[in-house]
Amino acid sequence: MTGVSLKPRAPFEARVDLSGLTPEVTGPLSLRELEHREVPCGGRSVKLAELFFVEGAPDGVLLVELGDVRLDGVGAGMTKGELIVDGTVGAHAGRGMSGGMLRIGGDAGDFLGSEMSGGRIELAGNAGSHAGAAGSGARRGLSGGVLQIGGHAGPHAAERQRGGLITIAGDAGEGLATGMIAGTVSVGGTIGPLAGRGMKRGTIFVNAAPELPAGFIDTGTHELVALRLIARRVPELSALLGGWTRARRIVGDTLIGGQGEVLAGA
Amino acid sequence: MILNGVEIRDTFAEAFPMVGTRLIITADTPEWALIAGRTTTGFATSVIGCGCEAGIERTLNPEETPDGRPGVSLLIFAMDFGSLKKVVPLRLGQCVLTCPTTACYAGIDTGKRVPLAKTIRYFADGHQISKKIGGSKGEGMRFWRLPVMEGEFVCDEDTGSVEGVGGGNFLILARSRGEALKAAETAVAAMVQVPGIILPFPGGVVRSGSKVGSKYKGLFASTNDAYCPTLRGTVPSQLPDEVGSVLEIVIDGMSFAAVAEATRVGITAVCAIGAEGGVVAIDAGNYGGNLGPFHFKLREIMQNGAGETA
Repeated sequence: MTGVSLKPRAPFEARVDLSGLTPEVTGPLSLRELEHREVPCGGRSVKLAELFFVEGAPDGVLLVELGDVRLDGVGAGMTKGELIVDGTVGAHAGRGMSGGMLRIGGDAGDFLGSEMSGGRIELAGNAGSHAGAAGSGARRGLSGGVLQIGGHAGPHAAERQRGGLITIAGDAGEGLATGMIAGTVSVGGTIGPLAGRGMKRGTIFVNAAPELPAGFIDTGTHELVALRLIARRVPELSALLGGWTRARRIVGDTLIGGQGEVLAGA
Repeated sequence: MILNGVEIRDTFAEAFPMVGTRLIITADTPEWALIAGRTTTGFATSVIGCGCEAGIERTLNPEETPDGRPGVSLLIFAMDFGSLKKVVPLRLGQCVLTCPTTACYAGIDTGKRVPLAKTIRYFADGHQISKKIGGSKGEGMRFWRLPVMEGEFVCDEDTGSVEGVGGGNFLILARSRGEALKAAETAVAAMVQVPGIILPFPGGVVRSGSKVGSKYKGLFASTNDAYCPTLRGTVPSQLPDEVGSVLEIVIDGMSFAAVAEATRVGITAVCAIGAEGGVVAIDAGNYGGNLGPFHFKLREIMQNGAGETA
């Protein structure tokens, strides 16, 4: 095995916050130092070794075996390296990431990749609410990097997104890209109500035109060279856009003077 | 040195540093891509009068272009980076933006950045849309979409640049005008297959090679009288009696090696025609070796496939 492996000793009795326990932090530490590193658990701090079997050799890769919905902040603040979770994680995974790769084999809780500015998150399952969105009190959501969601996304994904790319293979809940400032979101399934409300700029790609708030104006169906370019330049979007040469362009939210767009396959 | 009856004179072409860039232009059809390419590289034979030297490097198949449409690759050279930054957006705005169905992409990733849509996006009057997606970490190149009457013009933010070489050349000395032209056309057909070079003059050929200076004040260059057949005997001529016409091929390239290779390919093609086809000698233009740092020694190139940098 390469890297450091964290294997839970038993089901967690309280929420565990792994924020800051990233590959670049664990890499320089010895296993003993890692075991003695304290992490918040419930209302107290506990040594990592009390919660996990710590094994392997630090080398920039961190593996969390048997994920748990009570594991919060996994990969939060990552700047480089690779963090792999063999299972499900709780809230705030990848929050504020600026680099590196976070792979999650199961589902993720709320605020996955919130305020992320770089790097890549690959989630195999479903995401909770506010994926790629702005966290509480933050002005901007995801501003760079790539957030790939293999399943469905809960409400308010991409809320106040500022840049970067979010792909949702399944459905997106209500309020997708609310207040979006810039960036790109693609949805392979359906989109819930009130998508794009307050959207300033940015693009939502979706297979079929959804019902949108009143401030959106349908400009008709157009042949867009940009679709061909994106399909070839952005592998994450090639599956969705591969066959597109035309799209229905719906612009909004004009109620706030926004020039965002929903591009729906035609 | 004699190749197939053609004298390769013991001289060299003297070339200069230039700054170059590559643009990829695509369109719905190969014809429109070519129209855009020709228009963009028009009136760009010499920096002396045109501000830049430009040409079509080659045509591109759909699988070679960023958007999967047919395209052309253009090279544009200027004497310095500041000039290049001015001429490229001008030509882009007047010749590509205006041309139906086209899009424009960066053809070089490295080097100082030459603005493309970074400059001309303002034509869209606030309706321009930028995207920066793609790449393994989402660090993809920024491109712009500009609404136009036909639909949208897609253009990368900028492109890279290289320190190139301008003014590589050789002269074809032939018995007649027809034979000189045929030899030049043959050379051009072979040379355009070499990557990383352009032949900026009409059809790749120059009939009015120049010398530095003039009897008239204010003229930087004037006719190369030593190679004008009709002046033989009235000026110090470089032409033997049997030469009735001279044509020059000028080469700009992304590197010294590219220009040297194009020179070798061109002279080889001319020599294949040989004395039987009316070719008498191959010569080259230089200024005594004092002005340009790049010297393409004809005999060395034909013997070894390389020249030298002074």
